[in-house]
Amino acid sequence: MKKFDVIIIGSGVVGSSIAYHLSEYKEHEILLIDKDFPLSGTSGSTQAWVWVHTKVPSWYGELSLYSAELYPILEKKIGDVEYNRTGGIAPFFNEAEREKAYRLAEKQAEVGIDIKVLTKDEVLEMEPYLSSKIAGATFSKLDGTVNPFRLVELYVKAARKNGVKTSYYNRVLDIVKSGNGYQVKTERGTFLTTKLILAGGPWSKDLGELLGVHIPIKQVRGQIIITEPLQPFLKYTIGGIRQTVNGEVLIGYSKEEVGYDRRTTLDVIQQTAKMAIDFIPALAEANIVRTFAGIRVMPLDELPILGQIPGLPGAFIAAMHSGITLSPIVGTLMAELLTEGETSLDITRYSLSRF
Amino acid sequence: MKTDVLVVGAGPAGIKAALTADRAGADVILIDESVFLGGQLRSQTQYFSNLPKNIDSGLGIEIYNELENQLNNSNITVFTNHTMVGSFKNGNIGVSNGEKVLEIQSKKNILAPGAQEEALIFPGWTLPGVMTAGAAQILVNREFVRPGNEAIMVGSNIFALEVALLLQQCGVSVKAIIEEQLNIQCKDTSKLGEIGNIPIFTSSRIKAARGRGKVEQVIIETPNGENELYVDLICVANGFRPILEPFEILNCEFTYKKGLGGWIPKYDNRFLTGNPNCYVAGNAAGITDLGPILLTGEIAAWNALGEIGLVSSIVVDKKIKNLWVELSRLEDEYVFKERLNLINNTSAIKY
Repeated sequence: MKKFDVIIIGSGVVGSSIAYHLSEYKEHEILLIDKDFPLSGTSGSTQAWVWVHTKVPSWYGELSLYSAELYPILEKKIGDVEYNRTGGIAPFFNEAEREKAYRLAEKQAEVGIDIKVLTKDEVLEMEPYLSSKIAGATFSKLDGTVNPFRLVELYVKAARKNGVKTSYYNRVLDIVKSGNGYQVKTERGTFLTTKLILAGGPWSKDLGELLGVHIPIKQVRGQIIITEPLQPFLKYTIGGIRQTVNGEVLIGYSKEEVGYDRRTTLDVIQQTAKMAIDFIPALAEANIVRTFAGIRVMPLDELPILGQIPGLPGAFIAAMHSGITLSPIVGTLMAELLTEGETSLDITRYSLSRF
Repeated sequence: MKTDVLVVGAGPAGIKAALTADRAGADVILIDESVFLGGQLRSQTQYFSNLPKNIDSGLGIEIYNELENQLNNSNITVFTNHTMVGSFKNGNIGVSNGEKVLEIQSKKNILAPGAQEEALIFPGWTLPGVMTAGAAQILVNREFVRPGNEAIMVGSNIFALEVALLLQQCGVSVKAIIEEQLNIQCKDTSKLGEIGNIPIFTSSRIKAARGRGKVEQVIIETPNGENELYVDLICVANGFRPILEPFEILNCEFTYKKGLGGWIPKYDNRFLTGNPNCYVAGNAAGITDLGPILLTGEIAAWNALGEIGLVSSIVVDKKIKNLWVELSRLEDEYVFKERLNLINNTSAIKY
């Protein structure tokens, strides 16, 4: 039976990032398993924002900030992931929300997140295609986007270069405690490992059940519209809307609990289109070329679940909603935890034991 | 918008299904994404004889004209230039002309989206001048454009030979037919006679196409070495595969059957898919010939009519039995066997 130091289950953005960061220590025999292939699940069906400024409470905003700050460094190591710090605009539609915006700016300033609260005129000057119905917006230079396909591919490529073994199209059937470690039974044989990381995204719940652990996450479907390529007209990443480098506009707001059903429905697509037109009236003229849906992870309190699984030595979890934003910092911290036994940032707030 | 039967796709299978349902008194909406009805049939000038009893042999376009004639004398509501773009949570189907989305509430849907041609990938396959045999046929018969002057045909199935003949008829010099397999795939010996002096290279394949901005030269690998031909048209007849998107939208189950064209929606002997409101007809139910295509449309329609309650189950059963007998008579033996194989494995679908 093949033996590893670490088995990571899930080769999405989170699992692949952990594999890469852990492989940088060159101390572990690592196996990365996926039931399908990288990007077949949540990481391949996202709008791929690296979004910081509205993340609350502020200590969660701070984690997102650190992660965004790691992106330029990450690119130097693994290659161009098309990280683009566009700046982010979160519009609000009535004056009552301005007060809330100021409170957000004040709170986030404490952790170093710089937010401007803009008047309607200021927003429209920055982003002229936004609807004149908006009352204002919060703005931060820290927000941006990334190409998720390049990101995950380059994580995996760099990890492999460092000796990480991968096993794709290989579903994990059972996990059994065995001596000091775990036996991972898969469709393609059984592997032994000392340490185990669950990074299955929305499927982490099922993986937890194999270990007899309840992972308190929901599966949330998000439906996304892609327009035809349009001339560049949106400069910033706007709540729910971004224009990609090749001109397509990605639009998505919906959240539905429908299990693993990844189809799109016309009801939600039509609502999404209407909302987009409320934000940017000119989009009414754009043709939709494609729609898709992804199943996202939503921890019950919406905050990441990170670290050791209580009561199961050697077993770890990394499950979060904003995997794209957080993958650089989560990979870094999990690699520290598994190698050195402690992390450079305190992650006890994110422990599974809080539930 | 409400209807008894919505038929998606107005090729021969869809039209036949719509006509069958209309004649039994059902309200029928027939949609097609093209501005034309008839799918590929209206571009086909080859002669079809292996047809159901009630249809006269003739050229593809003649058979289409007769179907169109029947459509014009029916109560079917036809929407051309309308694409099925999705389904609503309540199961209604959205169709759009790019301007507006119509929501159609139907008792039963018959999906007949047809098939698409398989491309063939080789160095130079994206050069202008490389096209599928079906595209060449459309250019000639619908657009009245000669797609090139000197051509080769890749593939030797009946469709490849028919299009090669068509090209010759309109003055294209067909320099070779290339077949990867050991033998010519077309089983119709009379067709082989017609192609006469076109050289056929079996156990051969395209190595590359070359040219500046368009095809100018093709290199073929034959058992006797490499051959360079100067051509400006490479037609590829690499077979067809069923179009699956509408079935994905409607949550049908899929299965792989090589003899039916690869991935196809699962269906039972009523042509009912994994979605209890959706029937499948035509090439989407397995790549086959015109005769069987028309029959599958009819079978799907009778079953839908029975389920809706417009026709008694005794009548439906009798009709279906006869149609299946006819299908077994008309359809290629191997394809029919694969179809039966699929149906026998599909009885387990739970509704």
